[in-house]
Amino acid sequence: MEAPQGSSQDLSDCLPYVKFAKLDELLALGRANSLWPLTFGLACCAIEMMAAGASRFDLARFGAEVFRPSPRQADVMIVAGTVNKKMAAAVKTLYDQMPEPKWVIAMGNCAISGGPFVFPGQYAVVEGVDKLFPVDVYIPGCPPRPEALIEGLLKLEEKLTGKRRWPVVKSE
Amino acid sequence: MIVKEQVKTEITPDGAPRETFVINLGPQHPATHGVLRVKMVMDGEYIVRAEPVCGYIHRMQEKMGENRTYAQFLPNTSRIDYLSAMTYTHGFVGAVERAAKLQVPPRAEYIRVITSELNRISSHLVWWGAFLLDLGGFTPLLYAFDDREKILDLLEAITGSRLTYSYYRIGGLYNDIDDQFIKGTRDFIAQMRPRLKMYKSLVTDNIILRKRLIDIGPISKDMCRKYGATGPVIRGSGVPYDVRKIEPYSAYPEFDFVIPTVEDGDSMARYLVRMEEMVQSLRIIEQALDKLPAGPVMAEKVPRVLKLPAGDYCYAVEAARGRFMVRIVSDGKEIPYRVKLRTPSLSNLSLFEEASEGMLLPDALALMGSLDLVIPDIDR
Amino acid sequence: MNADNPLAHLPIPFQAVDYAAKGYHLDATVPPDQVVSAAAQLDKEGLALDTITGVDWMAQGQMEVVYDYFHPAKALRVVLRTRIPRDNPELPTIRKVFPGADWHERETHDFFGIRFLGHPNLTPFLLPEDANYHPLRKDFTT
Repeated sequence: MEAPQGSSQDLSDCLPYVKFAKLDELLALGRANSLWPLTFGLACCAIEMMAAGASRFDLARFGAEVFRPSPRQADVMIVAGTVNKKMAAAVKTLYDQMPEPKWVIAMGNCAISGGPFVFPGQYAVVEGVDKLFPVDVYIPGCPPRPEALIEGLLKLEEKLTGKRRWPVVKSE
Repeated sequence: MIVKEQVKTEITPDGAPRETFVINLGPQHPATHGVLRVKMVMDGEYIVRAEPVCGYIHRMQEKMGENRTYAQFLPNTSRIDYLSAMTYTHGFVGAVERAAKLQVPPRAEYIRVITSELNRISSHLVWWGAFLLDLGGFTPLLYAFDDREKILDLLEAITGSRLTYSYYRIGGLYNDIDDQFIKGTRDFIAQMRPRLKMYKSLVTDNIILRKRLIDIGPISKDMCRKYGATGPVIRGSGVPYDVRKIEPYSAYPEFDFVIPTVEDGDSMARYLVRMEEMVQSLRIIEQALDKLPAGPVMAEKVPRVLKLPAGDYCYAVEAARGRFMVRIVSDGKEIPYRVKLRTPSLSNLSLFEEASEGMLLPDALALMGSLDLVIPDIDR
Repeated sequence: MNADNPLAHLPIPFQAVDYAAKGYHLDATVPPDQVVSAAAQLDKEGLALDTITGVDWMAQGQMEVVYDYFHPAKALRVVLRTRIPRDNPELPTIRKVFPGADWHERETHDFFGIRFLGHPNLTPFLLPEDANYHPLRKDFTT
């Protein structure tokens, strides 16, 4: 049977000018390059998050400088600081209010496992935010440097798109 | 406490019902600088009564004081008020040294003053940027963080950390400073002075800022005294109370500096006090660098296992937010019996309920920003 | 008035303390029913409230409530102490004299269970609203 019009023969002529991809991959690329974080600085890590958004470290070049105060408008919740038992209900509510697709970055030792505030007989700290909801990226540090937060975002982007967009810095 | 009777409905002259309502500010809110919740009974845009609710970042610092040796508690001191971490470590270390009768060498005292004042400037810069962000201006935040990065570079080179330093040790310092730090600090001072002048013409003299802050949130001298408010709050109400001058500690008596005090008591007064404090801090750092003595930076014969004699000991420092006092109760063991941390933000915020009655909501936020709160400082 | 004790004219049994060794100038222990009148006298002298806290002396069956005051114009640090029985810890509130005591007393109640009589709102301040434990008591376990 003759090849119908618009068959692969014609399409291959366009290849230098047109890029084809799965819609999924395009959506993932769009989402990864414009992750909008929720302003959720709880304690000390919040200051390093603000420093990451400021001029020297500049999250804007990764599309992530638009911190949204409302969870309805945010993609990623960067939990920066210690989560308390008193605060845990509010954190869970915020997570539930975020629309899908959503991701969580646990920034700092407190969000990963309670940090320096875990001791036998402790009564107030939730030992890690992954006890409340699933976490995608963990960034250790107390507090982690802004570069570490950027690396965490790049890891999240890699999780979304499957490719890392910034080369890994290798020491000489 | 907000009671049901305060929420009331009335019928206005034109027949429409008017009702006060309760809204929640926080705990997640861009303007509360941390996890503070304020329950407010509102009459339209006017606050009838605002009640702060704290405890959302309570991290058991005082309980940990009873669980750790004196040296093990040092990282906690930086995390109480992370913007002014050096001065808080100074408060704790000073209390232990006072109790153990340790003599800190002069070079260590001078370096403590230099690093504390650098920390004070970086704390005031964060306050300035965040305060203006609350009032609606984004630009100063970027300038402030840019200057702050220079301070953080200097401090990172000698302490290894950008935010929570734990640089001071019981009896002195972790390590000495080098010529690169001294040169870098002098360069910073030279570069910071014209920047502060630029901030004055860009922001302080800005008509919009002046209309937002002048005559907003007046706090009287007596109110400060009754609530124990200290720092720029009491100095902005005309009382020249500064722990560095009234209860001098460390090497401060050897420096010539002024305590900026403004009589008006409104938010603009507190703003001006902090801007001038940055100028004075630069003066102190310059004098300390000029007069820096040589010598060791650690006291001799600091016992490895430190036990303080039984009794209670206090030490107060002037942190960026006000008077920080540590009270250690010891029963002779190597772990304290009780560590009480008197933090400035708690006393400063306690007057918010009385001071914000009848204010418009944006004005109340300007008042709260001018108090310069760090919420983990309140909750500890 | 003598140089050691600038508040000697008040009927509070102040002892002069070596400031360089302890960090405060005057120290007095009063019975619990006199904390309010002592606070009123210190208020008239122009002192400001620094902080209020408790210490749990479990071995002695007592709790100590410590009031710290400071003067905003001169170097004068005053400590007022009182002791109450551990199994029934209550004493009057000083918040009519110093409104700032409101939060300090709520925090002391949170941590030790000390009841301040006359306080209109002794609900948890730093602990969750439904907390019924007092973590800084020496017999506290989770």
